[in-house]
Amino acid sequence: MGVAIVITSGKGGVGKTTTTANLGTALALQGKKVCLVDTDIGLRNLDLVLGLDNRIIYDLVDVVEGRCKIHQALVKDKRVDEKLFLLPAAQTTDKNAVNPEQMKSLVEELKREYDYVLIDCPAGIEQGYKNAVAGADRAIVVTTPEISAVRDADRIIGLLEQEEMEPPKLIINRIRKDLMNNGDALDINEITTHLSIDLLGIVVDSEDVISSSNKGEPIVMDPNSKASLGYRNIARRILGESVPLMSIEDSSKGMFKKLISIFSK
Amino acid sequence: MNKQLVHIKGTKAGLVLRLDDQCAYAELVEELERKVLEGGIDGKVDVQLHLGNRYLQSAQQDELISIVQGPGNMHVSKVHSDVITIEESNEKVLSEQSETYIGIVRSGQIVKTVGDIVVIGDVNPNGRIEAGGSIYVLGNLRGIAHAGVNGNKEAIVVASHFEPTHVLIDDQIEVMSNEQTIVKENAEQLFAYLNRDGIISYERVQEVRKIRPLLSTIKGGS
Repeated sequence: MGVAIVITSGKGGVGKTTTTANLGTALALQGKKVCLVDTDIGLRNLDLVLGLDNRIIYDLVDVVEGRCKIHQALVKDKRVDEKLFLLPAAQTTDKNAVNPEQMKSLVEELKREYDYVLIDCPAGIEQGYKNAVAGADRAIVVTTPEISAVRDADRIIGLLEQEEMEPPKLIINRIRKDLMNNGDALDINEITTHLSIDLLGIVVDSEDVISSSNKGEPIVMDPNSKASLGYRNIARRILGESVPLMSIEDSSKGMFKKLISIFSK
Repeated sequence: MNKQLVHIKGTKAGLVLRLDDQCAYAELVEELERKVLEGGIDGKVDVQLHLGNRYLQSAQQDELISIVQGPGNMHVSKVHSDVITIEESNEKVLSEQSETYIGIVRSGQIVKTVGDIVVIGDVNPNGRIEAGGSIYVLGNLRGIAHAGVNGNKEAIVVASHFEPTHVLIDDQIEVMSNEQTIVKENAEQLFAYLNRDGIISYERVQEVRKIRPLLSTIKGGS
């Protein structure tokens, strides 16, 4: 029996879908059987970020309404053999096409076959959120170091704490070290004390994430990116390993520059 | 009728009308009307009604008051009864009770109590506390605190870290964007109260004992 984890944020555009795609891929690379569920019915993106959009035949609403079997709707990611699957959202209807009970039984069914079921939640706290949360055992809240994202994360954590599940965990996404160091963005400590939930990991902001999303290849496939390391660390923490928080300092400085910085102290 | 249903007694503060609590209400009203019209009082006088073990509904109470005040020279300052309904008693108990909330009041959440509330944790921005009595926050108060919701002007708002966006006491509201200097300089261990002019003011928690000594429920400390 697997675990269902919902990835949510309240605010839009903080990187829920990117996080879902990357954590799913990272867990699959670690040898776990993973199913990603896109619950953003009407505005589906997860298939695009994974580069699986042209292989969709059936979707979540088809499954729920009994037009196909669950395994017919699942799209396999060939890059990670037999480990990573996607249940895409429907694009033609809206969030009201599904109710929380249906989602619950769907996720229950998936949990029997997969080690991890990652549920990509839509922005907002309406029907789509309720559907996404219904079947989840755990929750991950994604935020960015912006006051608006942190405020919405606070709201969503309040709602999640009323659900019957473990206390949610936090991911701080799109960290920009320059802004954090000169105090223009909230720092990690400030965010975690304000929200007072456990920090699962941090991901630095990187242009590679945008370009890889556009290419339909999750950034975790690229072992050299710093953002990729952030996601892989988070995946290892989900698996129960204890991995120290990576430093946000720029390690891509050349050897020569490092030497200079040592001597200039 | 040989038994007097209305006893009139004079005190320093005014008259006390002790009304019989065994007779029928109609009889009482009749006799009270008669007694009041007898008059013999010069100038204005303050009157207290003592009902004994009789329970009056508010309409009946109003009727008695209007009878006494009818001639114009008597004013009823207080109606005293030895009995109250269970409902009133429960309300009274609740309003004097202090409740404890352990956790974080997050954005969009509202915590309401009839009496006082002690919050062990933070009140985050957009989180709201509404209490009939006072609010005590052992943690950061960064949201909205409304004390004395039902008109309790004695209620106070206390916090270890006092940085709310809005403070409300009774029907007064203070938007903290126009911050008071004391709050700006030092947000630690402050409280808000309504001063004599009915305006929300702030002081260090140590001053509560001077400003609201009656909030203490324990005397002494030896």
